[in-house]
Amino acid sequence: MNATATFEQTRTALADAAREARASWSTRATVFLLAVALALLAPAVLPLGDRMTDLAGFVYLAVAAVGLGYAVGLGGIPSLGQGAFVGIGAVVEANARASEGWPFLPSIFVAVVAAAAAGVLTGLATGRLRRAFVAVSTWILSWIVALALTSFPGISGGAQGLVLPGSFSPTAHYELGIVLLALAMLAFVVIAPRGSGLGLRAGRDDPAAAIGLGVPLPGLRLGVLTASAALAGLAGALTVELEQIADPSGYGPVLSFELFVAVIVGGARTPLGPVVGLLAISALRHLAEEVGGLRGLPPGRLEEMLTGYGLLVALAIGGAGIVPAAQAWLGRRRNRAFRPQTPSARPLFAVEAAGPLAALGLSKRFGNLVALEGLDLDLVPGTVHALVGPNGSGKTTALRAITGELRPDSGSVELAAEPLGELSVRDRVLRGVVGTQQTTAIFPDLSALENVLVGAGVRTTHDRTLRMLLQTPKARAEEAETRRRALGALAVAGLAGEAGRPAGELPAHARRRLMLAAALATGPRVLLLDEPAAGASAAELNGLAELLTRLRNSGLALLVIEHNLRFVGRVADVVTVLEAGRRLASGTLAEVAADATVRAAYLGRGAF
Amino acid sequence: MRRLLLLLVLCLLAPGCGGDDSTGSKKTFLIAVNAPFTRTPYVGSTIADGAQLAAEQQGTYHFRVKRYDNGLSARRAVANVRRAIADGAVAIFDEGTGVNASWRLARDAGIPLCVTYQGGQGLVDPVERPNVFRIAPTDHGTAFRLAEYLVPKGLEVALLVDDSSYGQEGEEALRDAFSRNPEAVAIRLTVPAGAPDLAPEVLRARRAGATGLLVWGQPTTIAGVLSAARSSGWNVPVYTPAAGEDPLVRQQLASHPDWVDGLTFAAGRPTAEVGPGPFLAFQRSYEERFGVQLVGVKTPDGFEIVQPPDYAMYSYDCVNVLAAAIDQAGGPDDHAKVLEEMNQISVQGANGDRRGFNERNHEGVVDDDVYFARFHGMTYAPVKDDPLSSTLTAIDQRR
Repeated sequence: MNATATFEQTRTALADAAREARASWSTRATVFLLAVALALLAPAVLPLGDRMTDLAGFVYLAVAAVGLGYAVGLGGIPSLGQGAFVGIGAVVEANARASEGWPFLPSIFVAVVAAAAAGVLTGLATGRLRRAFVAVSTWILSWIVALALTSFPGISGGAQGLVLPGSFSPTAHYELGIVLLALAMLAFVVIAPRGSGLGLRAGRDDPAAAIGLGVPLPGLRLGVLTASAALAGLAGALTVELEQIADPSGYGPVLSFELFVAVIVGGARTPLGPVVGLLAISALRHLAEEVGGLRGLPPGRLEEMLTGYGLLVALAIGGAGIVPAAQAWLGRRRNRAFRPQTPSARPLFAVEAAGPLAALGLSKRFGNLVALEGLDLDLVPGTVHALVGPNGSGKTTALRAITGELRPDSGSVELAAEPLGELSVRDRVLRGVVGTQQTTAIFPDLSALENVLVGAGVRTTHDRTLRMLLQTPKARAEEAETRRRALGALAVAGLAGEAGRPAGELPAHARRRLMLAAALATGPRVLLLDEPAAGASAAELNGLAELLTRLRNSGLALLVIEHNLRFVGRVADVVTVLEAGRRLASGTLAEVAADATVRAAYLGRGAF
Repeated sequence: MRRLLLLLVLCLLAPGCGGDDSTGSKKTFLIAVNAPFTRTPYVGSTIADGAQLAAEQQGTYHFRVKRYDNGLSARRAVANVRRAIADGAVAIFDEGTGVNASWRLARDAGIPLCVTYQGGQGLVDPVERPNVFRIAPTDHGTAFRLAEYLVPKGLEVALLVDDSSYGQEGEEALRDAFSRNPEAVAIRLTVPAGAPDLAPEVLRARRAGATGLLVWGQPTTIAGVLSAARSSGWNVPVYTPAAGEDPLVRQQLASHPDWVDGLTFAAGRPTAEVGPGPFLAFQRSYEERFGVQLVGVKTPDGFEIVQPPDYAMYSYDCVNVLAAAIDQAGGPDDHAKVLEEMNQISVQGANGDRRGFNERNHEGVVDDDVYFARFHGMTYAPVKDDPLSSTLTAIDQRR
């Protein structure tokens, strides 16, 4: 490629980016930009001289709080260890600078890497724990770091701390802090509605459903905790540079708790929330100090008590936090309606040619209970295969064994004669084998469109976080395509008009359709539905039957677990009957109904 | 709701709208007391009250004492010094936490920083830190006086320090002090500060053949060691630095007054060669202004016990030195001149000793002024087996 062509390509890409930016520019973006500009100009126009160090320190703490917002708000990880990461960054920075005499930038880099490494270790250690245990584990981490710093005064400087040489002026620190804070908030805004951010938010609402759609949740959670720890380490290192002292007593559980409270009080799910939470705590402290001063009380006597009461009031009023409460209030004032999204005119999806999926001799035991015993199933493209049987007959176990959620004790699953073996759920989703949950598993805090985007995003290749942050042309193009696919899936599920509505506000039947749409958006070849008609009205059953028929006609192989045999009779080409994990019969509904074994077992009760 | 908001705003603005600090024709100068008011209120209030008393007794200048809580955090201590400078302080009176960093801020602002509690080595250095002064016994002096007192007794001492910063700084001082007499040390042990039971550590000391315990740690550690030793029937002599006289030790052992008997501590002497007169006068003024500091325990014959304001006299003396220096400099505005005068001024201290500094010495309490006192019946009196202590008069602590 010659230089002229490269130049032309770059020019076109930039022009496209500028056009898209103009198109998507909002009032919020203008307000954000103005706020950042005003904050940067503040030292020049306001007499902040004596308070500049405090102000810069606050901004750095806000960076750590926004970092925690990544873990809590995006990832749903209740980390009570942010203070420890701040401390690690601070102490590493102080040692590199004060003891080793390193220059500013390398020491900052090492401090951030150290904090990030601690984040990785914490993530690996807590990755499989439930949320309450994650909170406890990270709280213990805070104590461990605090005790370690106290126990090794040679590293931490003991009670007197480690003293650093001065680097920049407080004003320079403040300006740097504002830029970092703005970038951290901007990154939150960019990541949250896309790719990994969407996957994290989905995992926060319903981890099993997210994993079922192919979201690599453990990896994403590890990544977000690492990023959160790195931001905390950066904040700690820069605070040490600002204050010229690293104080081991300042990085313990209290700091972790304060940051956590700030995030919760302000609102974890918005980038502004942690900053507002910190401001609220700071304002309460100052108020308490002033009131205490007026009452002649010693400093600190009233501070903690009033701060505590204030936080309780803030939580009581705010619920999800101050910022979400304010947003909800503003939303009510403006009486905004959801804008219906325009569905794509393109076809929903094209099912790639694929061979049948075969389950061969699947067996699974749970202790003494035989859940599956030598089950064979063939799911052929362009057919609906219904799996029926009483509760506990092994239907859902079979589905989970096929999707990879459950490892069978013996037997195998093959797609187009290729064994799926030990492939994870995500890898099976990428090969086109997708299942839905028995219960209505949606992500209530995400919009309907975002729910479907979680599924659609599983096949993207250019949504790596850095590319996403930089909004490269490929990432933008792929994002647009993903969005088109998601809107198409919504339209097929009959939910085009609900794209912008929070999924939690949808009626029950729409939620089941939304779950189906999210699965469709992954681009399946084989779709496994666990009781899709549960609780549906007659009209809804009709609509669902039509939808499944259309999907079958598009070449999809469908497995439907269902108790409603009338519905099964309408949609199924093949019916397999299970009892106690074993296949009793398989064939058309008429054949199965005529099977003496089946009738003897339980169908004789007149079900057909 | 609007009224409430307005009230909140007014509350916030009120302190900033109070006009200047002038009272009549006298200008008011701010003295900042940077101490742990929330974490160790006894220490914080002792320093602040001593400074307050001296400030109120000044004739030429009007001083206002403002308290800044450092919460025993070096970072908060530094931030406090920054705030105090922004508030226009003419001097910082500091408990000692964070001084390694905060002294520079004070130096850049040209104001003196006076340490009135911690005795850590390296906090004061007239060459490196020309604006840092101290009126309080040094750890170095206390440790050497303890070694000087204990070694001739032929004791084999178990050195127990706790892992608090106070204990760790003490360990450093004790290592130097006993370096020439290693045979006098039976064992060195570090115990966890605040541990509920120190019996294992005390047992280790006993098995090591210790015939005396020297405990350098928080008051709770001292009480814990006494409790562990006495409850096991070990009537070993116990020695401590000034933390031994902290009311908390006696409060924790209130149900076993006999366990405190024999506890010997080293501290700066409250009375001098001139006799107890000056200190008693100071104590009277102090108690008239702030009331008596009740320990919370009683003597065997039922008297309430009060804590003499011995540490308050250091901040009291420091204000007097500062006021004299400002007076000599013709006012506090010429900071360099005030600092220069601080190196030349000497005043009579609350206990009758001369307090002052020079260019080569910024320690207001000489190491030889450390005395020993021993408890009996929950009150203490100077020991008789030390040449300095034996000349001092006991301060009546009964009310």
